Amino acid sequence: MIDNTVVELSRWQFAATALYHFLFVPLTLGLSFLLAAMETVYVTTGRDIYRRMAHFWGKLFLINFALGVATGLTMEFQFGTNWSFYSSFVGDTFGAPLAIEGLMAFFMESTFVGLMVFGWERLTRAQHLIVTYLVALGSNLSAVWILVANGFMQDPQGAHFNPLTMRMELTSFADLIFNSDAQSKFVHTSIAGYVTAAMFVGGISAFYMLRGRHMELARRSFRMAALFGVLATAGVITLGDALGFVGGQAQPTKLAAMEALWKTEPAPMPFNVVAAPSQSARRNLWEIQVPAALSLLVTHTLDGTVPAVDELEQRAAERIRNGIPAVAALKRLAQDPADAQAMAQFRAHEKDLGYGFLVQRYAPGQDASKATPDAIERAARDTIPQVAPIFWSFRIMVGLGLLMLGYFILAVIYTLRNQVEHKRGFLRVALWSIPVPFIACEMGWLVAEIGRQPWTVYQILPTWMSASTHSVAYLAFSLTGFVVLYSIFIAIEMYLMVKAIRDGPDPDGPVDTVPPAEAAAGPGMAGAAMPFASRWEG
Amino acid sequence: MATFARFLVYLFIAVCVIVIAVILGAYGSWYFAWLVGTVMMVLIAAAGAALLDTQEAEERRGGGH
Repeated sequence: MIDNTVVELSRWQFAATALYHFLFVPLTLGLSFLLAAMETVYVTTGRDIYRRMAHFWGKLFLINFALGVATGLTMEFQFGTNWSFYSSFVGDTFGAPLAIEGLMAFFMESTFVGLMVFGWERLTRAQHLIVTYLVALGSNLSAVWILVANGFMQDPQGAHFNPLTMRMELTSFADLIFNSDAQSKFVHTSIAGYVTAAMFVGGISAFYMLRGRHMELARRSFRMAALFGVLATAGVITLGDALGFVGGQAQPTKLAAMEALWKTEPAPMPFNVVAAPSQSARRNLWEIQVPAALSLLVTHTLDGTVPAVDELEQRAAERIRNGIPAVAALKRLAQDPADAQAMAQFRAHEKDLGYGFLVQRYAPGQDASKATPDAIERAARDTIPQVAPIFWSFRIMVGLGLLMLGYFILAVIYTLRNQVEHKRGFLRVALWSIPVPFIACEMGWLVAEIGRQPWTVYQILPTWMSASTHSVAYLAFSLTGFVVLYSIFIAIEMYLMVKAIRDGPDPDGPVDTVPPAEAAAGPGMAGAAMPFASRWEG
Repeated sequence: MATFARFLVYLFIAVCVIVIAVILGAYGSWYFAWLVGTVMMVLIAAAGAALLDTQEAEERRGGGH
């Protein structure tokens, strides 16, 4: 059996690298589309300020993109180095989206990023705009494939376990990519990236407005970020609800942890606004509740119930008992693949194979068929993830999301009234709120991944079986190395970003190409779009 | 001839978009929602910037009087 410390250190290493990487990803996802929006206005109106905006924000995008790629690379390798049994077990299925993501990121995305950066003088306006859209699409399509892979871990669809090869084999690629969990998680994550970019652009624009610098760029950037952000925040909240609905059905243990539900109650169930969950006491030490709200929020009805920890543990214990014969049959099949009786036994119990694996670690000699009632109870308790970190991460994420919605509503009102540069208190809030969406994104990731425990592939492969057989010293060394290296990356990113922001957009850039007389004539949107056709030709 | 060729290209693009929309709508409704929502967000952000240009032009014109 793999040392539990090795499993925990492997988890910490993946979590640390993913959390670092996820500081860069959301900004890339959102800023790419904001750049596309800015360039769209440049191409349609021909006003040079929008080209300068696209240039300036493009520089910040590039810094973030480069470090995002550098931090993301190692994660794909970790599946092989630290999670070798997992890779062997689900590689046939999990490998496909991961490989497509790699191709998409390194071929499509990187190629077009290069064209976007170096193509300003070499491509026509229309060609460059298409390239910028392809960068945005490529970045987000990379995220699709990662979240398809993650969706498989959360709710395995489109694959079937083959007892003769001991692998999950792909049965339906369509089921894999159209998995509800993958779909809703992709949209939620991608749009959370839009919110992050909108807060980032709005905050830096606020910084310029507070200093009275680059006002033309700052006002326009703030306006675009505010509108983009308010719609994105509304979308994130809507998709968060959808994800809760989809995830609650696929992963009831995660939902019970998110809501700190220890005992199933009759409908309508109350919602724990805040609570102090205690895993050891298996109850909330204190809680503040809103009556009936949980049924409404989770099931969208007043008579719906949500299974709590007590009920889920009972179900898990039944599935463990049913999974034990599957594990025993699997061992016999490993010795004799032609054993028809063993195959029949396996087929009768295969849906609970993962639960049989779960109890192995507590069974004498790791023989599931010798599992005692105490071992079954311990394994059943293991199916409930750590409640307190999930409960609070979820609430921090939701709370920050609602705060950002309020911020963007005010931002839209102020910017549409052309008052934002006079609201100095609000501008300071905008500047100091830049970290907020990053924190919310990290919290969301924690909810998703801690909530999946104790499984790497939900209800199929336990985490404790998935890790590689490294030594504790090796993992402690590599974990320390990653933390030090990635902290340096963060410091480099911060330094380059701050430097680029302080330098501001090119002060020697060409002036606005729209003559004052034309601007004074007030062409409006229709008028602004009129020269579009001729400019499209570049 | 050039117009007809352009018509065929646009027709092909339209058919592709419709097919993608039908498939995504049936099997990947959230992917479809993302596609439509993203386009809407980008266009509204762009329209907001164009509106700001108009508002500033009107302010300048008002100041001129």
